[in-house]
Amino acid sequence: MFGKSRKTNETKIKKDNAPKKTKNESTLTKSLENNISLFKNIFSGDETLIIRRFQNKYLAAAKCCILYFDGMVNTEILNENIIQPILSGNLAQEISGDNLLEELQYKVIVCGSVQATADIDELIGSITYGDTIFLLEGYEKALIINSKGWKTRAISEPESTRVVRGPREGFNESIIINLSLVRRKIKNPDLKFKFKQLGERTHTKICICYIEGLALDSILSELEQRLDKIDIDGVIDSGYIQEFIRDEPFSPFETVGYSERPDVVAAKLLEGRIAVFVDGSPFVLTVPFVIAETTQANEDYYNNYIYSSINRFLRSSATIISVSIPALYLAVTTYHQEMLPTPLLLSIAASRQGVPFPTFVSLLLMLIVFDVLREAGTRMPAPIGQAVNIVGTLVLGQAAVEARLVSAPVVIITALSGITTLMNIGMIGATIIVRTFLLLTTSFMGIYGYILGFMIVIIHLMTMRSFGVPYMLNLSTFKNHNAQDVWIRAPWWTMTLRPKIIAAKNLVRQSTRKNNRGK
Amino acid sequence: MKTIRMILLALLVFIIPLITASCWNYREIDKLGVVAGVAIDRGKDGKYKITVEIVEVSGGKDSKTESRIITAEGKTIFDAVRNGISLSGKRLYWSHTKVVIISRQLAVDGVIQVLDWFNRDAETRADFHILVSKGESAKEVLEIGEKNEDVKSFDLEYMIENQRSLSKAPQTEIWEFTNELAAQGVAAVVPAIELYKTNGKVVPRIMGTAIFKEDKLLGFIDGEETKDMLFIQNEIKGGLLIEQEDGAEDAMPSVSLEVFNSKTKVEPTILQDGSIQMNINTETIVAIDEIGGSENVIDEEGRKKLEQSAEETLKTRIESLIKKVQSEYGADIFGFGAKLREDKPKVWAGVENRWEDIFKNLQVKVTTKVHIRNSAMMAKPLEVGD
Repeated sequence: MFGKSRKTNETKIKKDNAPKKTKNESTLTKSLENNISLFKNIFSGDETLIIRRFQNKYLAAAKCCILYFDGMVNTEILNENIIQPILSGNLAQEISGDNLLEELQYKVIVCGSVQATADIDELIGSITYGDTIFLLEGYEKALIINSKGWKTRAISEPESTRVVRGPREGFNESIIINLSLVRRKIKNPDLKFKFKQLGERTHTKICICYIEGLALDSILSELEQRLDKIDIDGVIDSGYIQEFIRDEPFSPFETVGYSERPDVVAAKLLEGRIAVFVDGSPFVLTVPFVIAETTQANEDYYNNYIYSSINRFLRSSATIISVSIPALYLAVTTYHQEMLPTPLLLSIAASRQGVPFPTFVSLLLMLIVFDVLREAGTRMPAPIGQAVNIVGTLVLGQAAVEARLVSAPVVIITALSGITTLMNIGMIGATIIVRTFLLLTTSFMGIYGYILGFMIVIIHLMTMRSFGVPYMLNLSTFKNHNAQDVWIRAPWWTMTLRPKIIAAKNLVRQSTRKNNRGK
Repeated sequence: MKTIRMILLALLVFIIPLITASCWNYREIDKLGVVAGVAIDRGKDGKYKITVEIVEVSGGKDSKTESRIITAEGKTIFDAVRNGISLSGKRLYWSHTKVVIISRQLAVDGVIQVLDWFNRDAETRADFHILVSKGESAKEVLEIGEKNEDVKSFDLEYMIENQRSLSKAPQTEIWEFTNELAAQGVAAVVPAIELYKTNGKVVPRIMGTAIFKEDKLLGFIDGEETKDMLFIQNEIKGGLLIEQEDGAEDAMPSVSLEVFNSKTKVEPTILQDGSIQMNINTETIVAIDEIGGSENVIDEEGRKKLEQSAEETLKTRIESLIKKVQSEYGADIFGFGAKLREDKPKVWAGVENRWEDIFKNLQVKVTTKVHIRNSAMMAKPLEVGD
């Protein structure tokens, strides 16, 4: 691509992504100093490794050492539960047997989880995850003491999805805390957590969470199979995994859901879906994912169902409006002027006087400008935020119209389309792409092009599946229980069944005879 | 093989509408010469002269709507329309046209040659209002005269549409006119327009009806007669009935009755001697909206009397209009023939060819009923003290 020198470089790239030391050859010995230098070697160049040697006052044989990483451990546990009892307790009296290590593990060390092992890889895995390694003179084994105590972000309301009414807690970056948040919502032994490790270098913990008896086995095994196929050096966020396990990899529509809220994930688990937690990411994935979920907000289920239905309907139609309105405006003003009422025709014609660009070009430009502003606003440091506002409203809106670069209706259409896009954050990428596509087809063929383009989009959606579940699930029928959670949110007492296909194993959510509505 | 066929089928489905979908074209909206109204006259050497009112908008913050008038000639209407490009610079756009004014001379010669293009072309709509100029020229209606709105043709459209509370001119859209031309046993009517002097200004006025026989203009009836005609046609949507008696000592004061609702049924019957009689029954609900005196026409007795007298007046007026049309024009503008064809097709088949003569001597029986619903905001006439 860039000439010969580049090519020679490329041949040097290794084909596998494994780290240089996959398996540690060395083993623990009986000498404490040897063992310590073994770990020093492994972590050479890492100065956060802390090595603390100490010895019991009464029992000289209890010569020991703990190793841990600074900042990863709870030093209180270290000081009071490990060092202090061993240092100052009268071990000569208390210890009876020969196996000093076992005695220490069972009788002296005060900690929730202590485990003996000789496996160097396991030890490395533990110490890098915040555990403490306990070494004792004369033993080929080491103890792994659970002293994880790094700082995590407090549980707070997620910035991405705020609610007026509903639980305000959100996931943070610690997988264990995230799991506990869900467990607290579903207190049931059927709630299962299956751990896996992904990432050759990051060893990221991920957890598959589901409710036994609700989640379909076929979906579960398909998910596990897809996860096992992943071979990547590092997983930083659940987004990595999302892209690996999704169906229809080339579609702009998401086929894997995600949420930052425990209440949402719990509700999805109760519908028979499966959640994937990824350590280090507050976004939890849920599968299977259907298009109707993009318009379902958690608040819909907590508020009055009439109000919720209105909101749900607005949200659903907002997406359609935002993809359609620029195309329809273009069609009506450049192809089908006879469809406009005369006063509207005249006022649009008046506003277009002296505008140099064709309507299509100015619509496209303004939509791009809107997305530029949106993107700039998203990633901008808060103190500069005001600049975006000024640029957006004054320069691009008012001044552009006054300078006759674009017509005022185009600005209105852009604003409407932009705002409606933001009403459905989960679909934003797809909306932008579909909107541009429809604008293009319309610019060629007028309203016919719009209809054609819309048909292509619908056909594409109809062919999609997420883990075997049709992506347009429940959108094609109003029969029975299918439509009650799509365009509207039906009252809770009528939603007696879980969504079909997804929860095919056990559809009954409420047994109707117990129903006590209206009391 | 199957997939290839499916792909071909899909391509066909997508491509065929592309080719067959009729009129579409990328045009920027500000490049259109929007035609608001058109007047058609006879030009020199049998040519047509069309006068087009084009809406001109000037943009910006304080946008202004103005109109420009151009006149073009051509051997046919479409020829004239296209010749207009060389005058207007823009291609004329006909989908927003509101009114077509046809000159008296052209109407007398026959309107089919004029209206065919308006019906046939893809851009023109079928819902233009069609008007016949009472004066010699149709052009002057657009050219001369004051206007309230920025565009004269829009003025005219409002005038026509608000006729429903005056009922002194019919409303005829182009599709109705062509329907009536084609229909059997009914003659077409079109509102008439003239220039009218008031307060030293000349304004267009829509009043009265132009009566056609086939596609040729026969003559006009005035506004009051038009109202009676609309009563017979069951087309009354509003308007006034004025009760005025003069002379006698116990005459009632003049009263304005506002028509709320009116229903007319026309039923043909065959008399014993075999001749045809049309029974016209109208039932009208009105309200007293003005009393020009202090006599009590609101109480039971007065109301009865008023109703009776109103019925009487309406009856005589309808009868005299029918008589006038029968004797002067002989054109069945009321659609009696069509009614007969609907109700008694066998009889119609027998008289179809002679209908013109039969209509002239048709017997009519008019029954009118007037119900007074209320007296608006006051329950009593204004009282006069000493």
